[in-house]
Amino acid sequence: MRLGRYELTLEPRPARPAIFTALTAVVAILLALALSSFLFLSSDAPLIDAYRAMFSYAFFNPHGVLATVHRSIYLLFCTYAFLVPLRAGLWNIGLPGQVYAGGLAAFAVPFVLRTHNPQTLALPPGLLIVLMIAAAAAAGAATGGFAGLLRAKLQVNEILVTMMLNSILFWLVAYMIKEGGPFMSATGEGESFGLPSSLHAPLLLGVPVTAVLALCVAVLLDLLFAKTALGYRIRAFGENPAAARYGGIIPVALSLLVFLLGGAFAALAGYHYFAAVPGVYKIPGNYGYYGDLGFYGIIAALIARGSSLGAVPIVVLFAGLSVGARFAQGELRLPFGVDYALLGLLMMTFVASHVLYHFRFGWRRIPSEALQPVPTELPRG
Amino acid sequence: MWELVARSLEASTIFLFAALGELIDQRSGVLNVGLEGLMLFGGTAAFITAQTTGSHALGFLAGLTLGGLLGLGHGFFSITLRGDQVVSGMGLWILSFGLTTYLGSPYTGPLGLGRIPSLWGLSPFFPLGVALVAITWLLLFRTGLGLAIRSAGENPAAAEASGIPVTSIRFLCVALGGMLAGLSGATYTLSYNPVWNYNFLMGWGFVSLALVFFSMWNPWILLAGASLFGIMWQLSLSPELILPGVLSRYVWRTVPFAITIPILCIISTPWFRTRWGLAKPEALGRPYAKG
Amino acid sequence: MSPPDLAPTEPILAARGITKRFPGVLALDHVDLEIQAGEIHAVLGQNGAGKTTLMNILFGLLQPDEGALYLREQRIRFRSPHDALARGIGMVHQTRRLVSAHTVLENIALGHPRTRGFLNLRSTRLEVEALGNRYGFTVPLGARVWQLSEGERQWVEILKALYRGAEILILDEPTAALTPPEVKTLLAGLQTLVRDHGVTVLLVTHKLPIVMAVSHRVTVLRSGRVVARLRTADAAEESLVQHMIGRDIAFRTMNRSAEMGRPLLQVEQLSAFNDKGLLALRGVSFSLREGEVLGVAGVTGNGQEELAQVLAGLRPAASGRVRLDGRDVTRLSPLQRWRMGVGYIPAERIEVASIATFSLVENTALNYHFDPAFIRRGLLDNAGLEQLTQRIVTTYNVKAPSQYARAQHLSGGNLQKLILGRVLSRNPRLLIAHLPTQGLDVEAAAFVRATLVEATAEGAAVLLISEDLDEILSLSDWVAPIYEGRFGAIIPRAEAGAETVGAMMAGVGMKEAGVR
Repeated sequence: MRLGRYELTLEPRPARPAIFTALTAVVAILLALALSSFLFLSSDAPLIDAYRAMFSYAFFNPHGVLATVHRSIYLLFCTYAFLVPLRAGLWNIGLPGQVYAGGLAAFAVPFVLRTHNPQTLALPPGLLIVLMIAAAAAAGAATGGFAGLLRAKLQVNEILVTMMLNSILFWLVAYMIKEGGPFMSATGEGESFGLPSSLHAPLLLGVPVTAVLALCVAVLLDLLFAKTALGYRIRAFGENPAAARYGGIIPVALSLLVFLLGGAFAALAGYHYFAAVPGVYKIPGNYGYYGDLGFYGIIAALIARGSSLGAVPIVVLFAGLSVGARFAQGELRLPFGVDYALLGLLMMTFVASHVLYHFRFGWRRIPSEALQPVPTELPRG
Repeated sequence: MWELVARSLEASTIFLFAALGELIDQRSGVLNVGLEGLMLFGGTAAFITAQTTGSHALGFLAGLTLGGLLGLGHGFFSITLRGDQVVSGMGLWILSFGLTTYLGSPYTGPLGLGRIPSLWGLSPFFPLGVALVAITWLLLFRTGLGLAIRSAGENPAAAEASGIPVTSIRFLCVALGGMLAGLSGATYTLSYNPVWNYNFLMGWGFVSLALVFFSMWNPWILLAGASLFGIMWQLSLSPELILPGVLSRYVWRTVPFAITIPILCIISTPWFRTRWGLAKPEALGRPYAKG
Repeated sequence: MSPPDLAPTEPILAARGITKRFPGVLALDHVDLEIQAGEIHAVLGQNGAGKTTLMNILFGLLQPDEGALYLREQRIRFRSPHDALARGIGMVHQTRRLVSAHTVLENIALGHPRTRGFLNLRSTRLEVEALGNRYGFTVPLGARVWQLSEGERQWVEILKALYRGAEILILDEPTAALTPPEVKTLLAGLQTLVRDHGVTVLLVTHKLPIVMAVSHRVTVLRSGRVVARLRTADAAEESLVQHMIGRDIAFRTMNRSAEMGRPLLQVEQLSAFNDKGLLALRGVSFSLREGEVLGVAGVTGNGQEELAQVLAGLRPAASGRVRLDGRDVTRLSPLQRWRMGVGYIPAERIEVASIATFSLVENTALNYHFDPAFIRRGLLDNAGLEQLTQRIVTTYNVKAPSQYARAQHLSGGNLQKLILGRVLSRNPRLLIAHLPTQGLDVEAAAFVRATLVEATAEGAAVLLISEDLDEILSLSDWVAPIYEGRFGAIIPRAEAGAETVGAMMAGVGMKEAGVR
């Protein structure tokens, strides 16, 4: 790009010390926060109050902290759902659909076994809860695996398939819980039936056990990629599918596997939110909001550059920001969607920091010499 | 009956404009998977502008401009920085999705302006769409510029060696594609369904993206595909016209999306690929480095 | 116009003091080049000497950091190929710059000033046909480029440049992908263009015979510097070689033991389709014993890639059978073949044989991630892999900053040595080496060849697929020229001469692939 006698150049950065990764992540987040100040401009409260409201609620208020924790668990699973296929070079943007699939499958268990009516309890509740989790994971795996299989066998673009599935499942949930659908609650409010208290997920220090599950998975995933042969194969395939195939790695099996895992994780997020968070225990009418929330997981996975443990602090921060933003929105009477906007800003700053990570901008004076005008007559022949 | 057809054709223009823009993009070698984002942003900008100024024309202008700007942004990331085009596209989508939800929410609700006059019940955008298809076809297959665009998408090194400024051509196409996407979004919010709601497109941008693949990068086939899809969508909204009483309306809403999947599969089979594979611009999605 | 005389006249094209730097590399160091009108000027040098960089600068694809270009002694600056083309300089690149999906006519018309605005292909066609007649050669204008042979595509590019009004033609390694008869046609055609039509030709190559056959003057480049400027008539082959390489290299046949082991590989009537769905390999049959080398000689694009891939399990066979040790392995996966002792060195070392963003150790794992000796309860034995990598690096003299440096930081030669070491460390019984020395400098190439010979001494059977006749003749026990997916014949080394093999590579005198 040139401006007059000067030229703006972009050179790839040669050596990248590891500290840069963390630094650019921090820069991205800070920049997004700074930019989000524009969102608060429409309210009358001074900026400082807005930020303080956000942070103090999310991280210091007992209700807020709990909400942050619950949301972190949800987002962590969403992050894993995107992260595993990402390592294999594949994009699982079907998280919302898989979340819905997980929710539907989890609620299908008590529905099918007719135990959603508190009077009849056919099986021990512990077993039922395990069944619910398993059903959710299976449904998510199937949803994701479907896209993965199509990608592996027919090279159908997984982005398109997963987006289609998102829409399909969104409407399926609407069918199930609204207007007389099978899962609709007795009060007919456009939401699903509530889970009987015996089927609530057990709590550990006020937090559902899914928290433990989420953290364990974080550790296991990092171990998987760093140390195991399978993790190596996934990474190799993600970096260079042709070379991976040359080395004996089977593309179909691998693509399918990462989508099965990814789908299962997203479905667990769904299980967690719809069946394990105190105060919810149903599929609410605004379930679409939670599906959309899953996209934070995409950004977290991208910023953490595929490291699941590295994603944990990022996810907690995002969860707090989104909880706090909702709160500030209510407090400061801002228009709906502050957290959505934050999502968008984070994506923008992530991309910008990604650019800075890989490139160095230079400003160069073009060496001056008499530039001959190029003749405009046609050459002969 | 005519109303149904007219409405279907109007719906199809949404797909058509966006897909046409993406077709031009892809013919030059740039893949933009964040099409939906550009449509969202264009539509939201158009809606807000139209409502505040009371002018449809200004609204459309805003939609076109914003779409074009976002397209250039995608171009900067993909062409100048040679970044992963899928990452850039996805980024644009999430960005637009997030920001438009916030920016548009104060305007949630009907547009409140008079409806755009129609020709015998048919929205004026359909003939506009057909005209654009014709122009695109002429441009791509009957002009030197079109040959340059197609060559840039097949083999940019060859194009560059023939004196074609590949970078400029790709930027041009990305800007055009962006403007058409913005137009698509604006058409949705100002004419087809002039009520703002967050995520009003519900995945239509991705359907348009799929349509480009279906059309084998031919504008006329694209027109047919978009029309077909418009009809399917309209039917899914009023299923009682063909199958009264069967299945909830929510299930019907899934039909257009569900049909897309097997079609995607069919066009990906080896049989289809070897017959039509040559239609895909060879350099699609690959960053180009000079020299 | 006759070739220039002894007295130096004003050069039609000159480059003076050209310097070009890339990150970490000085590609051209104050290079001076002077081309006389109406001559065939050869620029001679090995791979990596800077020839292509220099040509890219002459054509406007790159800008020099220092120095300037002069056209008829007027200083000029090309901002892009567009400027060069407008000035009458045309370039035919090493790799085809044609759009395969488009027709020949569309390719020729692309970018021409007269095809701005609406395309009138009919008048363009008439003009191009007239031009072709004038220069004495024709190309099928309506055909799609992917349907043409390499030689025909070459002519399309030349006609395209002439149609743009090129008075100076730059040809970068034009004979690289041509069969010997096609080379003859090309050289004769170039001489006609120069002699009868006043075109000036700048011929870039690393092949001495071409230089000696047609050029009037030659400039030799080595490591980015001009080391000699001679009239071809005054130059001797040995001295040119010395200038190119920097020291004397004697070509000799490798000494090999005559011991052959038991039969190992049997290939029967093997056929396969290429990516476009066309039959690229047609009923190839041969057998190999332990310690034997079969050299498959042919110009790239005659089915070698498909042959290598089918044997490695990366491409399904359309028909035929492959037997290893008597066992039918035709349908086995690549993984199963690695386990059985098949080793494959692909031609594309960066795209397929290695992973650029992985470290050396992780690249070693590419052939070991399934090996039980390196896996304990699902975990990769990192320490073991490090040791192995260190052994490879030392034995094969791979120059790298560290084991954990990324593969992309290795030069071509070192990367190839790493790959070779990695594959050979598995002690393969069958080694498929596809273009193992392509793009390597003389030292690295000699090292690779010596390593292949050592492998045969250990009992490995080697299928060597190469374009380099000298390499084939010096390493193989049997030579099989391949043309359009068929073996011409399988000739024992003692009976194979360069002319015979070269002719068969061009399809002359195709016999049934005989049983030995």
